[in-house]
Amino acid sequence: MIKISAKNVDVFYGKKQALFNINLDIEENQVTALIGPSGCGKSTFLRCLNRMNDVIDICKVQGEIVINDFNINDKGCDVVRLREKIGMVFQKPNPFPKTLYENISYGPSIHGMAQSKQEMDEIVEISLKKAALWEEVKDRLHEPGTGLSGGQQQRLCIARAISVQPEVILMDEPCSALDPIATAQIEELIDELKKEHTIIIVTHSMAQAARVSQRTGFFHLGELIEHGLTDKIFKNPDNTKTQDYITGRFG
Amino acid sequence: MSEAPHTVKSYEEELKNLNSNIVKMGGFCEEALVKATQAIISRNSDNAETVIKDDEKIDKYETLVEQQVVNLIALRQPMAIDLRETVTALKISSDLERIGDLAKNISKRTLLLNENLPKNLTEALIRVSSNVQKQLKSILDAYLDRSSAMAVNVWEGDEHIDDLTNLCMQEVIKYLKEDEKNLDDGTHLLFVTKNIERIGDHTTNVAEQVYYLVTGEYLEGDRPKGTEPIVTGEK
Repeated sequence: MIKISAKNVDVFYGKKQALFNINLDIEENQVTALIGPSGCGKSTFLRCLNRMNDVIDICKVQGEIVINDFNINDKGCDVVRLREKIGMVFQKPNPFPKTLYENISYGPSIHGMAQSKQEMDEIVEISLKKAALWEEVKDRLHEPGTGLSGGQQQRLCIARAISVQPEVILMDEPCSALDPIATAQIEELIDELKKEHTIIIVTHSMAQAARVSQRTGFFHLGELIEHGLTDKIFKNPDNTKTQDYITGRFG
Repeated sequence: MSEAPHTVKSYEEELKNLNSNIVKMGGFCEEALVKATQAIISRNSDNAETVIKDDEKIDKYETLVEQQVVNLIALRQPMAIDLRETVTALKISSDLERIGDLAKNISKRTLLLNENLPKNLTEALIRVSSNVQKQLKSILDAYLDRSSAMAVNVWEGDEHIDDLTNLCMQEVIKYLKEDEKNLDDGTHLLFVTKNIERIGDHTTNVAEQVYYLVTGEYLEGDRPKGTEPIVTGEK
């Protein structure tokens, strides 16, 4: 089933066009990887999906992005609600300078998701368990989140993202600052999370895209060159540019 | 499909090297089959002995290709066309190695054959062998040219080989029935014929690999088969 449908999306930074007529359907409860060289527009596209580009003054987004039959680029869209439904995890772990507990409880409290301390405790525990971090931190929930290792911080950020029960999780190179073990833990987590969430991940690692995703889209110079099943893209892509990129032949 | 070279030159070199080892290995196999056949016709024991001795070279290439493939997978993680290059090289090399073994076996038997075989028998053998030689040459060219069309031609050509093999078998069986004294030679010739036909089968395997290498798709459908073989063997 299609969760997100991007139709004729153009993005401009001032006069410079960054994305050209992107049409892409994102399947529900699957992991979609977006790959392509730096500056190709993959992160820009990712940021369109929860209107993160709004915060850049000169950025203009055109076209439709339909999520649950609703075009999020419509004027009536409540961006705060949108970002509750579409969470995001960034390249560098960015926990709030607060305790682990507060890192998780912040989102649910501003969205009024817990009626009592007990309910909030439950949300924190479930979120940390889903992010495979609970066992490591359950005895230090009131210590600062910034005291964790990089891999743990990233899982904390994932726990924070899922605490408000988003339908979609956007990940922008979530493992690029992590060692292979922490990376494997995140990848395992992505595999688990896709059962309940739709995941879109931007990655520079071909191997990671191949490992974690069911579908892959290849961007180049602001265009979506090819998208489809991940195994097809990595074994026998249709487009020469895709093949040149994934095999390391880009001039 | 891709003309552009890899950004990492050493990777490009490694793939080229793998490719050229398959081509060289194929060349040795062609030579082995030609010499093994000549040895039967001209009763030239030197040729037969060369084939037996040179099989070692083919075996060494197989080991080399295998090592290169393992290294490429471990160190380069090839994708798309590179992945297909790597995987098919491994499979092709094992078919070529078998071709070398079969040519060697033909030559071992040749050394035991009577010097004056009836002409109709040698002629029937040459017909099978020269067709298999053509197939082998074509598929190595197809590999070199990355031609899926040539691969399909070779694949389809196996049917004709099967038919020629059966005709040859019939000749050998007739020869066996003629005289009890023909038993040794006749038995060897049955195996020789079957071995040549098996070389044709391995050539067909290579054709399937070349097709996959070029297109990323598998050759669909049943393999072309000639008339039912008189002597059943693995196919």
